Amino acid sequence: MEMIHIIFLIFLGGAVLTYFAGKVSKVLQDIFFLLSVLVPAYLFFANVGIGKEVTLTLGGITLVWGVNHFSWLFSLIVLGLGSMAAIYAIGYMKGKERKGYFYFNFILSIMAMMGILLSLDLVSFFVFWEIMTWSSYLMTVYNGHETQRIGIKYFVFSAIGAYAMLMAIVIVHHVAGSFMIGSMINFYPNMSLSLQIWIPILFLMAFGVKAALMPLHVWAPDAYSNAPMAYTSVFSGALSKMGIYGMVIVLVTMINQIPQGFWFREVIAWLGGITAVLGTLWAIKQDDAKKLLAYSSVAQLGYIIVGIAIGTELGMLAGLFLAVMHALFKGTLFMVTGAVEKQTGTTNFTEVTGLIRKMPWTFFAALFSIIALAGIPPLGGFVGKWMLYEALITSNHYLLVIVIFFSSTAAFLYCYKFLFGFFLGQEEKEWAHVKEAPVVMLVPMIIMSVLMFVLGTFPGLILKPINSGLVDLGYIDTFKHLWNTSIIFNAWGDHVVLQPILYYIIAIFVFFALFLTWKGHKTTRYVTTKDISSSGEVPAEDENLTFSVGFMQPFLRAVAPAMRRQIDKYYTGIADGLESLFEFMRRIYTGNGQTYAVYVIVFVVVVLLFKSVLF
Amino acid sequence: MVGTPVLFIAIPLLAAFLIPLLGMIWKELVRIVPGLVLTYLLILAINLLNHVLVHGPIVEVIAGWVPPIGINLVFSAFSGFLVTLMIFLGLLVWIYSYRFKRNVEYEPALKYFLMLMMLITGSVGIVLTGDIFNMFVFIEITSISAYGLTAFYKGRNSAEASFKYVMMGSIASTFLLLAIMIIYSQLGTLNMADIARKIHLMNPTLKIVSYIFFVTALGIEAEIFPLNGWAPDAYAEAPGPVGAAFAGIVVKAAVYAIIRYTYTIFDLSSSFSFLIIIGMITLIIAETAAIRQEKLKRMLAYSSIGQMGLVLVAFGFGTKEGVFAALFLMLNHAIIKSLLFFSGSYLVYNSTEKNIKEVNGMSKFLPVTSLLFAIGAFAIVGLPPFAGFWSKLSVLTAAADSNMILIMVLVLMVSVVELVYYLRVVNRIYFFKKEADTKPHKPTFNALFVMLVLGAIILLIGFYPDAVTGMLHKASASLMDKGQYIHNVLSLK
Amino acid sequence: METVLMDILGAVVTFLVAFVVGMTYGGLSRKITARVQNRKGPPWYQNFIDAFKLGFKKSAIHHGVMHHLGGAFLMVSSVMTLMIVPVLSHNNWFPNLNFQGDLIFLLYIMTFGPLGMALGAGQTGNPNSAIGVTRGLSQMVGFEIPWVLALVALMIQYHTTSITGLMAAQAHSGTWLMFSSPFAFIAAVMAMLGMFRYSPFDIVGAPTELASGPVSENGGKYLFVMMSSGSVFTFAKLTLYVDLFMGGADNLLILLVKTFALYLIPMLYGMTTPRYRTEQAVRWFWGWPSFFGLLAILQAVIF
Repeated sequence: MEMIHIIFLIFLGGAVLTYFAGKVSKVLQDIFFLLSVLVPAYLFFANVGIGKEVTLTLGGITLVWGVNHFSWLFSLIVLGLGSMAAIYAIGYMKGKERKGYFYFNFILSIMAMMGILLSLDLVSFFVFWEIMTWSSYLMTVYNGHETQRIGIKYFVFSAIGAYAMLMAIVIVHHVAGSFMIGSMINFYPNMSLSLQIWIPILFLMAFGVKAALMPLHVWAPDAYSNAPMAYTSVFSGALSKMGIYGMVIVLVTMINQIPQGFWFREVIAWLGGITAVLGTLWAIKQDDAKKLLAYSSVAQLGYIIVGIAIGTELGMLAGLFLAVMHALFKGTLFMVTGAVEKQTGTTNFTEVTGLIRKMPWTFFAALFSIIALAGIPPLGGFVGKWMLYEALITSNHYLLVIVIFFSSTAAFLYCYKFLFGFFLGQEEKEWAHVKEAPVVMLVPMIIMSVLMFVLGTFPGLILKPINSGLVDLGYIDTFKHLWNTSIIFNAWGDHVVLQPILYYIIAIFVFFALFLTWKGHKTTRYVTTKDISSSGEVPAEDENLTFSVGFMQPFLRAVAPAMRRQIDKYYTGIADGLESLFEFMRRIYTGNGQTYAVYVIVFVVVVLLFKSVLF
Repeated sequence: MVGTPVLFIAIPLLAAFLIPLLGMIWKELVRIVPGLVLTYLLILAINLLNHVLVHGPIVEVIAGWVPPIGINLVFSAFSGFLVTLMIFLGLLVWIYSYRFKRNVEYEPALKYFLMLMMLITGSVGIVLTGDIFNMFVFIEITSISAYGLTAFYKGRNSAEASFKYVMMGSIASTFLLLAIMIIYSQLGTLNMADIARKIHLMNPTLKIVSYIFFVTALGIEAEIFPLNGWAPDAYAEAPGPVGAAFAGIVVKAAVYAIIRYTYTIFDLSSSFSFLIIIGMITLIIAETAAIRQEKLKRMLAYSSIGQMGLVLVAFGFGTKEGVFAALFLMLNHAIIKSLLFFSGSYLVYNSTEKNIKEVNGMSKFLPVTSLLFAIGAFAIVGLPPFAGFWSKLSVLTAAADSNMILIMVLVLMVSVVELVYYLRVVNRIYFFKKEADTKPHKPTFNALFVMLVLGAIILLIGFYPDAVTGMLHKASASLMDKGQYIHNVLSLK
Repeated sequence: METVLMDILGAVVTFLVAFVVGMTYGGLSRKITARVQNRKGPPWYQNFIDAFKLGFKKSAIHHGVMHHLGGAFLMVSSVMTLMIVPVLSHNNWFPNLNFQGDLIFLLYIMTFGPLGMALGAGQTGNPNSAIGVTRGLSQMVGFEIPWVLALVALMIQYHTTSITGLMAAQAHSGTWLMFSSPFAFIAAVMAMLGMFRYSPFDIVGAPTELASGPVSENGGKYLFVMMSSGSVFTFAKLTLYVDLFMGGADNLLILLVKTFALYLIPMLYGMTTPRYRTEQAVRWFWGWPSFFGLLAILQAVIF
């Protein structure tokens, strides 16, 4: 028994055990759940050697699993974020129903993602891909809210993608004679031109769905916002990265090998850019934190796709670095939303307000993640954004850089909306009872915030595995050429030294913070948010001072033309059309025996008439 | 030698005559005896299958007349596999229905079990026989039992459904007889192997016409569009286990017959593409019609029709991979669709309308049944790690190996449709609020046992397909080897 | 150790210069505006008086930690910008950070302050502050587009993303970038109108409507820090423009002349135009200014 097999067995057995442990005791269930996520994570990082392969033969097909540096990087995201979210979930799920269901699917999702990363053959890749799809689907319908629309939309898109991939897989098996990913890559240059173009397209359809690439993204906002937050942090943080993972492999090992690849990359990069813009604009419009973050995830995935699609070394580094960062900050933000939801019962900005003094640690985590999301130094998001811009500029994508810049500047609007909506603004009596989230939920958020902070100054920590992964994929080693422990370079040799930035920022901030605190310390008072100047008058007790409805309205008016059409509507139109067609199909079966008899006669006559054609 | 194929016909027929007599001694025997018979036959079938997989097919001559004059039964890896599957399913249906409608009187119960056993016998006969007229007889036995079972509830609707079935069935008989007559008038023989040997002597036009008549007749039983008008009604009105028996046994036998004619008896090269065309049309029409159904069993019926279409498509590839895929599909379909019918009938047990919306929120009251239905739904749409995935993969691999890209695209698109309607039901079971007037009914112990067995098989095949693939490979090889079949039958002395 | 001390001392000197110049410019703008409107106006040093009065105020109130620290956030942004932008070429008293003042980094650090300040304003609970913030952020999205278009045009034309690189390119060719890349200059200047928030882009703090918007809850030391930050920021931004488009400055006098000349543009433009609503402002920036930005990129790509 190899270690990789043991890991999968623990996942699988753990999922089942956790499910049934709930019938015995809730605490036991929590313990089982934690163990079945954390133990495999530990075993993986401690005992699985890179480059090792294990095989298993099923149904005459050899399933090969192994780790390389590239999949190790993504395993880090999956297991790291998965462990954090698992700890968080203990607190989040306390007292909720369908706990066993949640834990079961959570573990299966983690298992499936690890399976995808470790698969070296296409069949196990597809198997785990589908397990990931349905386990995440079961999570999106967890609330039982609009399952027929949201859940099925997610599953249909996933299925269309997955079936496209399945088609590619069997075609590859036909022409290359093997299900191994390695032999597919080796055989790729020998394929016919049409296959060389179609195989990547089919694969990219599958990956594009999971990575929420426009126009395949419409499921994402609903699915992300509808899943329980403890899971959504994994859903958006890690699961969507499976699409990125596959995309990188397809881009590097296939598309870059053919002359037409340039157009592929341009199209994907532009789709990513448009995804980023549309995601951002719709995020600004949302009044619900879950939806806002969901759209924001779509937008952030757009950046990542842009980075990997332009395909230069810096672009790849940027995309993958952003992928790691996105896992951290979006994971944290969904956790924050979950914490707020748990403590207040709502995630709507128009309802909840002014939590900063009640949930300071949650606010701290939210603030750090927002700073990282917005790409503001000295947190890690900046490093990713910087590399992305420089990669775009140095590879002659002048317009795309503007698109990306627009969307990331506009992202400030929803960043502010998120922080303001939950934590700032008037402190209403309605929320006076709210307490800080339980420690078990806070700890993962704080840990991830600290990580974001560390990566902002020492991105080399994570750029190192990214670089090893890219070297495994056939890129050149970019250490000291594009990055160092805390310096990042662009292709023209310009660079940013991150350590002094941090020191300067801290020095200036501390200096002025001290100045503000120390000066007139004794005569500075805290007053409540009700006690404000409003044209020199003190507002009355019952006056509404909460500004939350119609937030960012002026900006939305400015961009209204771009948001008039919604891709989702077109899909709904298509679906409705199909349903009517199916209704027509159903009516073929009239329920009348005479009609059926006529059908038989018609069949015989038609077949006899056309027998010279058919036979 | 552990037994002979004749026992598959002789014992149930004997039992069928004895059951009414035994019922006079002790009423419960009416329920028990079929089970004993089926258990015995299952053991026999497994033993024979093991024997056949190693030593090659058994050809049994009835009444001492050597083929081509006499009637013979062929128990090859292919037919043996199907026989085992059918008897296994028949046994499960028996266990399931042992206490299915406990309040049913003695007389209906007697008829039910008798007809069920005859249904199984007839189907097994269709698969085993090596004589086309003999096959006609078995088809009649099967059909008549099926008509009776459809009308089991004696209501207006079930009578109407049964009548439609009778009407279509008689059309089928007519065409079948016509086809047999044409063959006999041309070749002067009714033995399959003998026909196969001589078929090239036949007038080409008549050959095609007789093939078309065969396909039409058998297509009515095998639920090929547009010949399957009876099916949705019959499935919807018959009791749940009967639906499972139809989907798992009767239809399988009819498909077997079509395949036997196409692969072994006739030598029409283009009949394969004909199978693909009618299979594809059936698949598309049935799956798209299923999505708008309002009754659970109708939906399952259309899904079943669609699956049969896919089986025909896979057979139509004409390659060994195709046959393997088709057999795998038949196996999975038999198991999964039975599970769906079994669990589905408990989800809408106390309802008269059997509407889909009556399954709303059932997971709270029937957790195990709901879970098994969900597993069945996930399996039939081909999600890993359940059984259906492997058959879907092999169908697509076979299609790719035959360069049928368009077929692949269509099959996958239809799969998406299939996915939608199954998920809608699963969502209803788990996430909708229960309708006020539905009364959940707990499954009996027997029923639960059967469903758990089927669920376990689905998971077993899903995680360890090797459990069946070896057998399926041998079975498909045995179907493909036409010369060997002729030789085995005609070399008997 | 000595270099560190010298650096700190230099930073302090730079800060003081920026503070004085920024405050003076602010006072002058009030004066000039008044004269244009045929008023007498306050003296040019009025801003100093205001600032010190606020600075020496004994009491202050705040609404929470973020509000308390809002000024510090703002200061980080303006002082960092000042530190990165080379104030004078070839002069040790005005050191810039030893990494070469990358433009993308600059763009982001410039948004650090407004966002931190916005958080502070948000915590006050005054709806006017939040409204002001949303307007300010929206407007920022507006003017960043032509501004970035201009910067990207410069970057691709000279294959560098650093300010010093662009200054070196100007020194090398002998012409200012405002002449060699006129469209970029036009786009950047138009973006500058938004940056300085003079009319017509002053809806953010619309005094009568919003009671000064984001700053409305601040007084005493808080407002003092914000005013100082604003002055420093004004100076830093003007210097950046001078460095980018006018070849930088060798001594303080030339710098003052160039920066004041630039400063007059938003000031005077504001006097002739009435205030835009937010969406009008945003769209204005995406109109002609962005068009010029695109022309600049076209020019950079073609030549």
